Amino acid sequence: MAHSALNEEQALVEGLKAGDEQSYKEAVRIHTPGMIAVARFYLDHSSAEEVVQDCWVTVIDAIHKFEARSGLATWLHRIVANRCKNRLRSTKREVSTDFSEALEPELGERFNARGRWELPPKLQFHDAGDTLMENGALSGCLDKHLSALPEAQRSALMLYEAHQHKSDDVCNILDVSASNLRVLLHRARQKIFLMVETFQETGEC
Amino acid sequence: MLMCRDLAVIASDYIDGELPVFQKMSVKMHLIMCKDCRTFIGNLRASTELMKTHSSGRADEELIRRIDERVAEALKEGPRDSTNRGP
Ligand SMILES: [Zn+2]
Repeated sequence: MAHSALNEEQALVEGLKAGDEQSYKEAVRIHTPGMIAVARFYLDHSSAEEVVQDCWVTVIDAIHKFEARSGLATWLHRIVANRCKNRLRSTKREVSTDFSEALEPELGERFNARGRWELPPKLQFHDAGDTLMENGALSGCLDKHLSALPEAQRSALMLYEAHQHKSDDVCNILDVSASNLRVLLHRARQKIFLMVETFQETGEC
Repeated sequence: MLMCRDLAVIASDYIDGELPVFQKMSVKMHLIMCKDCRTFIGNLRASTELMKTHSSGRADEELIRRIDERVAEALKEGPRDSTNRGP
């Protein structure tokens, strides 16, 4: 985390510890999306929202035990993950995910029997994400595809890319092995790759 | 020898610098000779960057409002007795 961001977070945490309502509003706005991503890994939509709401109430007491060793996001995500795991334990539901295949079928089909490209990528994407994102239609398309990802892949992608957690933290929060996290990330990225490719070639989502 | 398909399997590990040195070298060798895989790796990397810059998921406004309300209520109640605190 950059120095200024670190200071900002410290100020926010002080506000939370002091029970300042405005600080809570700010923190809720910043951190709820990530917390939902964690909860959705384990639970259905409405249970996930319930758990995240409950977590915010427990934060009021628990924040006094927060030490800046881990970032606030990591700390909040762990609280959510623990709640979800407890809940799963009581309902005996298991999280099942397929980690066996590292290639998206749609991409896997593009190689010939000798393992060479049969249908190679034709166009080069623009280098910077910024240039691509200036395209509002692409942004909308990305939203659509992200919400269509399997929950496990989306959670892994959100925590690793968007929240830039370290692998160890993501594994810990989502309770997956390092190699399974690699599969989740790779599968999700391939889907995004295939989506951008279709979008660039056809202009359609 | 590393084929294009093998490279596609480990492409994310390569991008994230998670490959053992030996495998990393074979990917690099392959990329020198194979234009298609260079394009693929470049595009996969661009897709990854796209994810980083794309908003980390917008919060549902209705949910945010509900949380704000519950937090405000709980704050008014003041610090709770630690004996009846939830897990
Ligand atoms: Zn190749």
